Amino acid sequence: MATTALPIASERQNPLVRVAGLIPGILLLAAIGLAAKWIEQSINGYTKAHHIVFPNIEYVLWAIVIGLIIGNLVKVPAIFQPGIDTYEFWLKAGIVLLGSRFVLADILKLGGISLLLVFIEIGGSLLLMTALGRAFGLRPKLINLLAIGSAVCGVSAIIASKGAIDADDEDASFAIAAILGLGAISLVAFPLIGHAIHLSDHSYGLWAGLAVDNTAEATAAGALFSDTAGKVAVLTKTCRNALIGFVVLGYAIYWARKGQAETIGNKAAFLWRKFPKFVLGFLVISLAVSLGFFDKGQVASLANLSRWAFLLTFAGVGLRTNFRELSKQGVKPFVVGVLGEVLIAVLTLGLVVGANRIWTL
Amino acid sequence: MSDNQKVDTELASKHGLRLSTDAWAVWVALLLAVLVRVGVLQHISW
Repeated sequence: MATTALPIASERQNPLVRVAGLIPGILLLAAIGLAAKWIEQSINGYTKAHHIVFPNIEYVLWAIVIGLIIGNLVKVPAIFQPGIDTYEFWLKAGIVLLGSRFVLADILKLGGISLLLVFIEIGGSLLLMTALGRAFGLRPKLINLLAIGSAVCGVSAIIASKGAIDADDEDASFAIAAILGLGAISLVAFPLIGHAIHLSDHSYGLWAGLAVDNTAEATAAGALFSDTAGKVAVLTKTCRNALIGFVVLGYAIYWARKGQAETIGNKAAFLWRKFPKFVLGFLVISLAVSLGFFDKGQVASLANLSRWAFLLTFAGVGLRTNFRELSKQGVKPFVVGVLGEVLIAVLTLGLVVGANRIWTL
Repeated sequence: MSDNQKVDTELASKHGLRLSTDAWAVWVALLLAVLVRVGVLQHISW
């Protein structure tokens, strides 16, 4: 999850002007998303009408591809940028609304399994990335940023920890570029591997949620496989996100003890500040659905609102991935990232297969 | 979960309306849920 410059959080400006400034970019996201949906429906319609056997390519892929083409081949006018940056807002709103598709019992079962695997994944990822970074002679704080980004929640985790461990802007840029580049690769690689080894929807969703770093990419990688896999990927990724504060706090204390970062005063306040609030929103909606607060039609409406929010998100994921910018960041952190991510993907796949034998996911 | 969170608390105290992306997303989603519940938003299709 990259940082979003929602107008509400930006500097002093008339709120109405700020909201108006979002409209062009949001319309662009919507246009890309709708075009993606139209392409999916058109291909499906054509192949059905002509009795052609063709795999269903989800709108998710088309939205990302169209976004990538526009973002990399055309210089998007600055007027669109504030609205494009809202993709993270739509992602989080979509996750909260996705809570309507889980009753609490599902969350307790799947979330419990996910949480257990998430603990193992975080520990394993931190160790792996640290070992690889040291082997390649990367700077210590860059190693930490890469480790946190790959263990917890990608770009957000890097940004959250950058301030806490007082890392350089350059290190943060390296780490973010590596995580975003790998996120783009995972969108293609994960669904292909998942289908090749015949993972079930649940197993694949769990794997994507554990191994793909950025929440937007994890959501997209899950949805590219199937609707159910997307749901499970979001739940698993949400469990990972929920732990960000603890990981960042650990690193902040480590660097403060070395005298290279500010000491954390109130640890509870620090944890609350870093805690992703959308996790709470997700649980509130799920609780309301579990208590029968919404009827069946209303639950379907909430689920569809979540899909619309994700549609805008996926368009934004494609638009903001700029390969030229990513390639400027150098090779070494990317090599460490690739090696680390491949090992983490293998580790988490092993965890999922193991968990599947115990719980039949 | 981002830079916005850093400004979250300070902004919330100084300028009541300023929230992080995270918090805005939650409030907007909850508002949509309430609108669906009371029937203002109905039959949202996909």
